[in-house]
Amino acid sequence: MCRAHATVRGLIGELVARSNHSRDIVLDMEAGLEHLTRGTARHVTRFLAVLEPYYRSMETARRVVELAKELNVPDVVIVANKVRDTGDRAAIAEFCAAHDMRLGAEIPYDPVLLEAERSGAAPIDYRQESPVVSAVKALAQSLQASAA
Amino acid sequence: MRIAIAGKGGTGKTTIAGTLARLLARSGRQVLAVDADTNPNLSVTLGIPAASARQIVSLPLDLLERRTDPDGATRSVFAADAEAVVRDYAMSGPDGVQLLMMGKVNHSGAG
Repeated sequence: MCRAHATVRGLIGELVARSNHSRDIVLDMEAGLEHLTRGTARHVTRFLAVLEPYYRSMETARRVVELAKELNVPDVVIVANKVRDTGDRAAIAEFCAAHDMRLGAEIPYDPVLLEAERSGAAPIDYRQESPVVSAVKALAQSLQASAA
Repeated sequence: MRIAIAGKGGTGKTTIAGTLARLLARSGRQVLAVDADTNPNLSVTLGIPAASARQIVSLPLDLLERRTDPDGATRSVFAADAEAVVRDYAMSGPDGVQLLMMGKVNHSGAG
């Protein structure tokens, strides 16, 4: 177990055990899957598995679902990102159906993000009502509505 | 709620994490964002200026202690005051989101 990951895991465990439960924690994980086997996210209640409409990305999300189950975090919300058209939508729906994955949110491809990145601004500060920010707002509302 | 955001590199995890954290904070919630990526970028999508982000001190690696159980097994336990760690190491960003950065990963050590 890598010490840096173990520290994050231990800290979140302590915050959950001893502190104010009303605090939300948003953990941005390392890309890929190796970290999941280290249990960094053991104390979270829910995973968001972000995927794009191409095979290797969807396959990684499928593995996230599996690994989350092994960590006893069965609540995984699939977030389809950078969706451009009905072809993308169909590919994602087909993959999710084939692997018993629940699609929880769809976020459109949004060229404004590139502009935001170029200017070094956060997407939410660059343009409040961009399609991506609106879609994440809908996601936030659905997460809050279904939070235990 | 406690959420981990995972996926293949380049899928937009960090954009979603940062934007989600800001929106949760705007709806009146206290939000702690944790950047556990070895290539950290969450400060950008949270809207923390780069000059400030460079001053964030990542979580130290000496907060764990090795304990030996009565049966002889050893385990690592978090041995510091977690709230004090948040106070000392988290940076406050726009909308009051607090950001913690994971310490440096040493891939050579077994840890």
